[in-house]
Order: sequence, then C-alpha cells, then structure tokens
Amino acid sequence: MVLEGPYQHQAVDSAYHFIKAAVARGHEIVGVFLYTDGVNTINKYINPPGERNISKQLSELGASGIDIVACTACSKFRGLRPDLKVDNVRQSGLGSLAEFLRAADRFVSFGD
Amino acid sequence: MEKVIVMLRKAPYGSVYSAEAFRTIMGIAVFEMDICVALIDDGVYVLVKDQNPEKLDMKPLGDGFLMLKDFNVNRFVVHGESLFERGLQADDLVLDAEIVDNETFTKIISDYGRVLPF
Repeated sequence: MVLEGPYQHQAVDSAYHFIKAAVARGHEIVGVFLYTDGVNTINKYINPPGERNISKQLSELGASGIDIVACTACSKFRGLRPDLKVDNVRQSGLGSLAEFLRAADRFVSFGD
Repeated sequence: MEKVIVMLRKAPYGSVYSAEAFRTIMGIAVFEMDICVALIDDGVYVLVKDQNPEKLDMKPLGDGFLMLKDFNVNRFVVHGESLFERGLQADDLVLDAEIVDNETFTKIISDYGRVLPF
C-alpha cells in the first residue's frame, strides 16, 4: 500500500524499488494498492524533465503482471479520471485492498 | 479469518489519514476480517467525545466509530501512554476501548501481523 503522492514523498519510489528487489529474489508481489495521494502516481501526463518517470515505472510493473490498483474514490476526489491513467494499471475500490490482504502472507505499507 | 490492525497515529482533522483509516475499516470489514482498531500518538484524539469540526466544514469523525460494531468490528485498543500524556482518560472516549501499555500494544501488533498504518 502506498499512502503518499509522487515526487512529494519517497513512498512510491521505495515501493517501486522494493518490488523490483523482491521479484529479483523470487518473491511474488500479489498487488500494489495506491491510496490517498498515491493515486496521483498513475497520471499518464506525468512528465518530469530529466527525472525518473514514476507513472511509467508503475506501468512497467503492471505490464510484468503485477496488479497495480489505484483507489477509485481517492481518484474521484483528485479528479483523476479513468482516461488519465497510464496503461497496465486499474482503478478499483477497497475490495481490492481486502483481496490483497487476504492473498498475501506479508503486507508492506509505504508512507509516513 | 485474516487478522488486520488498522492503526491511527494522527489527529482527526489536520490531514486526511484518520478519515481514510475509518473508510478503510468500513471498506474491508465487509470482507469478514478480524479487525482491530488501534490508536496511538495523536491518533487517540480520533475517539474523543463531543468533536465539533463544523467551522472546518468537516464532519465529526469520532461518532462514526460507534457504528463499526454493526460491521463486526469490536476490538478497539488505545495506547495508554499516548492517552494519558495528552491529559485524557478512558471516560473521554466515545466507546469502551482496551487501554494498554507499551508491551501489550506491541504484542497485539505482532499477533495480528497485517498492519495498516495511517
């Protein structure tokens, strides 16, 4: 679970690197739930000149088969319409968080 | 049944976290999980009686926790030290919670395993 927005906070960067490292060591990542400002990470218009593109990084993780979910309600609060999201991620409700909690044997959260 | 702790660490209105913690509890409780609501640090303010955030154009948060029993959320744990050092007592809270010491709080977290910190 990621609880902070991109570029403002290290949370989503830490999550990204944690996932890469975990997968490299043979672990399965059941999913990523982007919550509160974390949903801003999937905006396809993110375009930071000369810096890492976090939305693309998450889209790549999604393309590799990891379920990347941004909270629907949080998205609505922040005007993040479905057509604004990058490919390979989806918007869904807290039911997805419950599914991840049920499916995984470890739960890690990133934020303050 | 999956055991989950939702931990509230922040004051109710200065940021969105406590309100989101409440929404999370509601959201995952319908999936029949064993949920413990744990309050520590400024999070203990979330359950204080008679909150009135009208001037902030927000809705009171504490009273909402009373209806969690209808969702089978029955365990509320409060970190005693956090409560007492803010000049509060068990009577100041909207519901009956377990007031526990540091050691017990830590043990409960360890027992539940899955922790959602807000």
